[in-house]
Amino acid sequence: MHPDPSTNDAKSAGLPRATEITVGYKALSPSQKDRLQKIEVNPEEGDAPPWDALTKYKTVGTDVDRIDGMPKATGRAKYAYDMNFPDMQQAMILRGSIARGVLKGLNLDEAKAMPGITAVVALKEVGNKIRFVGDAVAAVSGKTLDLVRDAIEKIRAEYDADVHNVDFLMDEQAPLLDSKGNVDEEWDEDKKVDAALAAAAHTHTGTYRTEVQTHSSLEPHGNVCKWDGNNLEIWASTQATFGVRGELARALGARNIKVESVDVHAEFVGGGFGSKFSAGIEGLACALLAHESKLPVKLMLDRFEEHTTAGNRPSSLMQVRGAVDKDGKITAWDWRSFGGCGYNGRGGSVRYPNYYMSDAATRRKHKDIATDADPARSMRAPGYPQGWFGAEMFLDELAAKAGMDPLAFRLRNDAEAMRLDQWQFAADKFGWDKARNHKNERGARYVTGVGCASARWGQLGRHGGRRQRYGMTCRIHPDGTVETRSGAQDIGTGLKTVIQMLTAEELGVPASRVRAMCGHTADPIGPASGGSTTTASIAPAVRHAAFLAKGKLIDLVAAHLGVPVKDVTCGNDKVGTAKASLSWTDACKLVGPNPLEVHGERYPNYPDKPFHRGVCGAQFAEVRVDTWTGEVKVTRMFGIQDCGLVIAKKLAESQVLGAMIQGVSYAVHEQRIMDQRSGRMLNGDFLRYKISGIKDLPELECHMHSVANGHNNTGAAGLGEPPSTATAAAIGNAVFHAIGAPVRHLPITPEKVLAAIASK
Amino acid sequence: MKPFTYIVPKSLDEAKEAAAQPNTLVKGAGLDIVDRMKERLQTPQNIVNLLPLKADLAGISVEANGDVRIGALTTLTEIENHEAMRDPVFTALVKAASTTGTPQVRNRGTIAGNILQFTRCWYVRSEAFHCLHGGRGPTCLAMTGQNRYHAVMGWSDCVRVHPSNVAPPLLALDAEYSTVIGKETRRRKFSELFPAEPRAENPEHTLQEGEIVTAIHIKKQAANVRTAYAESREKESFDWATTACSVRIAMDGNKIAAADIVLGAVAPVPMPRPKAAAMLIGKEPSKRLFLRVADMAFQGAAPLAHNAFKLPIGKAVVRDALEQATR
Repeated sequence: MHPDPSTNDAKSAGLPRATEITVGYKALSPSQKDRLQKIEVNPEEGDAPPWDALTKYKTVGTDVDRIDGMPKATGRAKYAYDMNFPDMQQAMILRGSIARGVLKGLNLDEAKAMPGITAVVALKEVGNKIRFVGDAVAAVSGKTLDLVRDAIEKIRAEYDADVHNVDFLMDEQAPLLDSKGNVDEEWDEDKKVDAALAAAAHTHTGTYRTEVQTHSSLEPHGNVCKWDGNNLEIWASTQATFGVRGELARALGARNIKVESVDVHAEFVGGGFGSKFSAGIEGLACALLAHESKLPVKLMLDRFEEHTTAGNRPSSLMQVRGAVDKDGKITAWDWRSFGGCGYNGRGGSVRYPNYYMSDAATRRKHKDIATDADPARSMRAPGYPQGWFGAEMFLDELAAKAGMDPLAFRLRNDAEAMRLDQWQFAADKFGWDKARNHKNERGARYVTGVGCASARWGQLGRHGGRRQRYGMTCRIHPDGTVETRSGAQDIGTGLKTVIQMLTAEELGVPASRVRAMCGHTADPIGPASGGSTTTASIAPAVRHAAFLAKGKLIDLVAAHLGVPVKDVTCGNDKVGTAKASLSWTDACKLVGPNPLEVHGERYPNYPDKPFHRGVCGAQFAEVRVDTWTGEVKVTRMFGIQDCGLVIAKKLAESQVLGAMIQGVSYAVHEQRIMDQRSGRMLNGDFLRYKISGIKDLPELECHMHSVANGHNNTGAAGLGEPPSTATAAAIGNAVFHAIGAPVRHLPITPEKVLAAIASK
Repeated sequence: MKPFTYIVPKSLDEAKEAAAQPNTLVKGAGLDIVDRMKERLQTPQNIVNLLPLKADLAGISVEANGDVRIGALTTLTEIENHEAMRDPVFTALVKAASTTGTPQVRNRGTIAGNILQFTRCWYVRSEAFHCLHGGRGPTCLAMTGQNRYHAVMGWSDCVRVHPSNVAPPLLALDAEYSTVIGKETRRRKFSELFPAEPRAENPEHTLQEGEIVTAIHIKKQAANVRTAYAESREKESFDWATTACSVRIAMDGNKIAAADIVLGAVAPVPMPRPKAAAMLIGKEPSKRLFLRVADMAFQGAAPLAHNAFKLPIGKAVVRDALEQATR
């Protein structure tokens, strides 16, 4: 029996432990085969029965509009930045102006005495280290931002400045570079790798670099804090409501604050991308100012602070030696990389797509190098876009040496079966063969080229651990509306819509009957939004909650109709049996006067081997290069992406297209530019920190590849990060194809293109 | 932003009077000024908003003799769309106006405001840096610092670049501008609007305190005049040019009879390149000629540590403009 969600008998909750399901996916095109197989899975007792590849969905996988699209478009959605309360104070942070040194003096008296200033707190003590330009020194709250700024200017902070360095390649731990930017350093001996290189048909060496990409969430970091006795209510722009709650409770522990006394709201969040897991010094400062002033306080960072203190994707230098045999099979892969980190020397690690060289002699070395700058924070697939750029571009260069088409080269070496189908499907859709064989006219000013790269990520969701599994509240109201609530945050990816659609699917009602609420710690515990785990982690809990609610409603309806519970199903907006049923709204009238309320749980993933661990994708890009000015215009992109079960198709596509947009920007525009002398970022705004705009973007298309992995009752996998791994790499390869020389350093700016052309 | 008095004049006379007060700034759209006020780099006591005077100071008109008058408060969008601007004489001006900023900026931003905007140098526009041009430090910080977007010619003690897109086409057209100050009305050549030797101590323009630009005038051009504007940039959406070039060409048969070349974004002021232009006179357009002219346009250029890329790219932009104007 294959479960149809609209006819599932909720009373089958006492499932046999072993259930046979069908996993895999249907053929992507008529020329390909179905990849379906039966596996046995062992759900825990009490869980909702698994969905699988044969499940017939009514809502899941369709194009439901984003549930909060209208409120967002019309400004009715209230973000932390929008919260205002009577007597609310504005606040700012005094930022250290040196890149490295010690705080020698701090006098807050004059600021404290200013009329209209309600609180001043020191965030560092004299003698503390200043670790980068922007390190927080003190915070001030007052009636208006102008007053606060006046007060900040009155704080006397003195520093003992040390010699600093903000360029990781200037560090003594960095490898020596020759004038062309190649690493001028011998490779250590490695018997296996050296032997493979010596035996190879073709070998190649390349050095690749990427620059710092700052976190540029549309909504800055920040909070509004309000105390009531020992209770703190906080509106946060965060990716981790429960994380912020615990963090602030710990930080304020001396003030007799417990976790339960902190109430976090993050109903709407304007992006995070990995930079908003922590309340940060700005969160603590806001809470302290509100405590001291006994008034609500708002402290949001400004754009410069966003660029300089809110984290980044660190820079990297990667060097690869590789080799292929006469059949184009990779036989050696020798990788060494360096991450250009902030003062803590962490987060610069670089990953590469290891499924291409599964049979090769490989070696991987990495070293993080600290600089006196804002530390890295995880940023949408941390370490991946850098490494994929280096590795995928190296593959194209190696393929060229072996005289192979880059796609054929990948088909030859990619060890992931699912992606082999994706490569072929996407290449056809994109028109690879024709575009790749196109010859640019000799001497033409504008030349075109195409390139491709793979995408990979490895998340099938978390469950919160044994002691505190993620939960979900589902309420069926007497008026027929349904409400599903999670305390986890929707950072803009569309979690609320996912919750709405899953609830509607399980209950067999239109999505419009369901309201989904997120982001208040009074509701059940959910994950932090990181590692592309939120949907994958929460979806099974949503299903379980709706499944339990359905069971309770069926009990009521069965009693009312006088039919056996086991015969009653929910579906097509009705509840009942084939012979006797009630419309959904009539059935809900049996509820009451209080809503029917249940709490679902996230059961751990099945102990059985899923169809596929993680997710696969592939992207193709076309560029046009102006060989006179070196300007690169990405003209067209196509991406295919798997994310396990595709729940909200429109939003899933939006994730993929968004990742491609961010990838275009990373490939050709974004870079942090530092003033070496002061250690201060020079382009810490949206004018000179260049992010692709509408006119810079290509025609974008994507195909969602829905795959049943059979790892839990829903089968959703991660999506936010995987598509962002491929884009810059595909574009880099397209530029290589267009001009016949690789630009091995992101962003691919005009001068680098001209230099590459000149080097031919 | 520091508090200030916001003055909304009802007439040009009122505006003149208000502008004559000490510590007073005159604004059109205010796009540039507001940024600097937020940063507290400008803390004027008074701001005179000229926008209420649009009835008198905005709009494009063709006079009886064929001269064109563009009101100082005319928006870039109006220039982009106006009937009179379809004349090939204005191809360069329209292109320069329509590639500036974003549609929102162009709908709001005025032609005079664009020409008079403060340099985009990231040192002088930051309150954290104290440099010579900002009047807060002893040296130009860009000269020895990160100067990727800075000058490659025409600089002495400050390597800022003039950021206006529309100034080069107007200079190439030999335009004039009218101002008022006190009881006086002045009309001068466009070249006089920019300091002849732009030093750090000079502002971007030569206007006196309280002087208000009212209009821009372009003399009727010969029927054979064509113009073109080209620029290099890093982004198509909302970016400043890294190099720009506007040309005016008059053809006599298949030979070039008259030529003007003005570079933008490469020096503290828009840079006319008369020696390069002179090479075109009496010649037939050709790729070889344009390559040589482009080289000449950058002759004597002295790039800094991080902006040598402006030379090859700027030369390509000169060629591009010349090809467009002679096509």
